[in-house]
Amino acid sequence: MSVTSEVSEKLQALPEAAAVAVRMKAEHYFDVIRAMLDVFASRKNLDSIYVTSTIPSASIINALEVLEIPLDHIWFVDCISQIMMSPGQKHGHAIYVESPTMLENLMLKVEYLIRKTKDRKNLVILDSINSLAIHNNTKILSEFLHILVNNLRAKESYTIIFSMEEYESEEIRNMLNLVSDETLQVEGEG
Amino acid sequence: MAPREREEPEERERCITGIDGLDNILNGGIPRGNTVLVTGSVGTGKTSLCLEFLVHGAIVGENSLYISVTESADKLLSNIIPYDFFDRKLIKDGRLVFIDLPVIYERLGLEKLEFDFEEVNILITAIGNIVDELAIKRLCIDSITSVCYRLRTQENIRDFILKLGSMLSSRGCTSLLVSEISPAEERYSLYGVEEAIADGVVVTGNLERRGDLLRTLQVVKMRGTMHSRAKYVLDLTTVGVLLVPLLKGGSVPAAGG
Repeated sequence: MSVTSEVSEKLQALPEAAAVAVRMKAEHYFDVIRAMLDVFASRKNLDSIYVTSTIPSASIINALEVLEIPLDHIWFVDCISQIMMSPGQKHGHAIYVESPTMLENLMLKVEYLIRKTKDRKNLVILDSINSLAIHNNTKILSEFLHILVNNLRAKESYTIIFSMEEYESEEIRNMLNLVSDETLQVEGEG
Repeated sequence: MAPREREEPEERERCITGIDGLDNILNGGIPRGNTVLVTGSVGTGKTSLCLEFLVHGAIVGENSLYISVTESADKLLSNIIPYDFFDRKLIKDGRLVFIDLPVIYERLGLEKLEFDFEEVNILITAIGNIVDELAIKRLCIDSITSVCYRLRTQENIRDFILKLGSMLSSRGCTSLLVSEISPAEERYSLYGVEEAIADGVVVTGNLERRGDLLRTLQVVKMRGTMHSRAKYVLDLTTVGVLLVPLLKGGSVPAAGG
């Protein structure tokens, strides 16, 4: 079974408004994104809010275009482009947070997009806990996740938190266990 | 001896601000008729907060009045955030009214730079007449600091705010008075009098944390309701003012430390 099918099937089996930690290897990154945005969100008629602190939204948007995934119901909260001082063009489906350390502003932008897309339920993807952990200490990050996940649950939104196995620490695992309803381990073929 | 039953105080009617986060902080809204000082340094969102309060009022059928002291209403409207919920028809229908205070000064012949006791009364009567005539239920004066500048003495300022608050409250009008302070100020108003007399104090500010500048809001005082006194981070958006709790990570001492 392909990674995309494996992940989308596991997501389908989740209860409504679940908070899920997705543990994966970097090589499965784009397959997981396809499973989330193209398969799961489409089937469930969800608007996706993709929070990126790993790579700029422009790069993800380029990849989605290559994968022929339509952007109509996908929105980005980009916490990395401005800190990189990248002069790239601003995209109409992306809003920017000055730095991944501004966790409150990140929550505010997610809230803003939820209100803007109020006709449909939301899938909020946090990419990734590892890159946020580079910029924030564990205490503030745990507090942030706790508030964000509970807030999203109250709004009946799904929360997906990416974690790259290669960069996981014991602290990150504990944090994810605390806030997630389930942990989805991406095995891949073989 | 059996303990005496405590009488529950009667819940005061609320003026729902329409700003969800603020209504939650205030446990349902501002107690109707309260005079609230909205205080903070420049660029912290005071005017946006007040405008949204008035626009929501106008939408729910409460006539709302914005009295501009330093900036003309036209200029203000040209810089207003393009709220998704704002409709210029509210102005056309007289539900949302903008008045420049210097125009009132001129009509009343109050052209001196310093007002005496009698002129303070004339000004309050004039505002009261406008509130009556237009059936105003929400009012904002932006800024009260500029009005106080003409009153000069603490006695005059105290008298003005007391009379203004009492006049508006008796008409069931909930009001926001904008106060400008410098970022380094340790009190809530320039003259140190306004916050003691107002029924509520909402402080907006800038918080610097590791080089990031966050806009914050804190309700320090609000008579007639239980409320949170925590600090929140705010964002000014086209869907209105959004608020989330300020994260306190790191403020909890580590075990054994």
